[in-house]
Amino acid sequence: MGILDSVFEPPFKKRRSGRYSVNLSEDERQMIQNLVLDLRELLTTDSPMLQRLFPPPYGENEERNQGYSALAGSELVERKFSSLDCVSTTISAEDLSEEEVEAWMRSINDIRLVLGTVLNVSEDNEFEASDEAMQGMHNTYEYLGMLLERIVRALSV
Amino acid sequence: MSTAAPLEVMEPDTGTLGETVEETDAPWVVLVWNDPINLMSYVTLVLQRLFGYSKAEADKLMMQVHTEGKAAVSHGTRSEAERDVFRLHEHGLWATMQQD
Repeated sequence: MGILDSVFEPPFKKRRSGRYSVNLSEDERQMIQNLVLDLRELLTTDSPMLQRLFPPPYGENEERNQGYSALAGSELVERKFSSLDCVSTTISAEDLSEEEVEAWMRSINDIRLVLGTVLNVSEDNEFEASDEAMQGMHNTYEYLGMLLERIVRALSV
Repeated sequence: MSTAAPLEVMEPDTGTLGETVEETDAPWVVLVWNDPINLMSYVTLVLQRLFGYSKAEADKLMMQVHTEGKAAVSHGTRSEAERDVFRLHEHGLWATMQQD
């Protein structure tokens, strides 16, 4: 546990009951809701920003990738919708089931994947913002990383 | 590092997505690849939850992904591998499958 936990309630915390408490501000919830709705809309397109969400399972074998995508692709999108919708309907909740926390986890991770793709995040270089919009996006990316880390920690208890 | 496996009687590959061309019965392996976005702690948790690995086993696989670029996380028939790849993609991990 971090030193700040003695001062601040962690954003996600497992209760004795096995459910999870959620301690986020209205602003944080509103921001997450907006990102969830943005991704939901993006998922109805074939934007290249989504490439990390749908990796080709057979590497360079295009024929097999297309066969897989034709059968499993829409189901994968449906699962992602389902997780995003779970976050939307529980966005104001202060108490979540484990399944709901997992849906938050997957959705926040998917949003990070899209932001990281747009920001062209790499392990080798420090991020350098080309303008304010990119800096804002990177701040969101970092915030979601912190949030995801806390969800993982809560689920690992 | 696999050696030639003895021939086994395989069940028909009826549940498999994709084509109908002849398949060999070599097992399929599911790989998770390194990417700069996913958090290390997240990858470990997903491997624990999807495959029932202990924390230590999942950590070891995650570190292999991180340092070597990829790690084999499951083996099985083609349809089993496709199912595992699907669940990994559902969780945003960069997974592929190939025949050993």
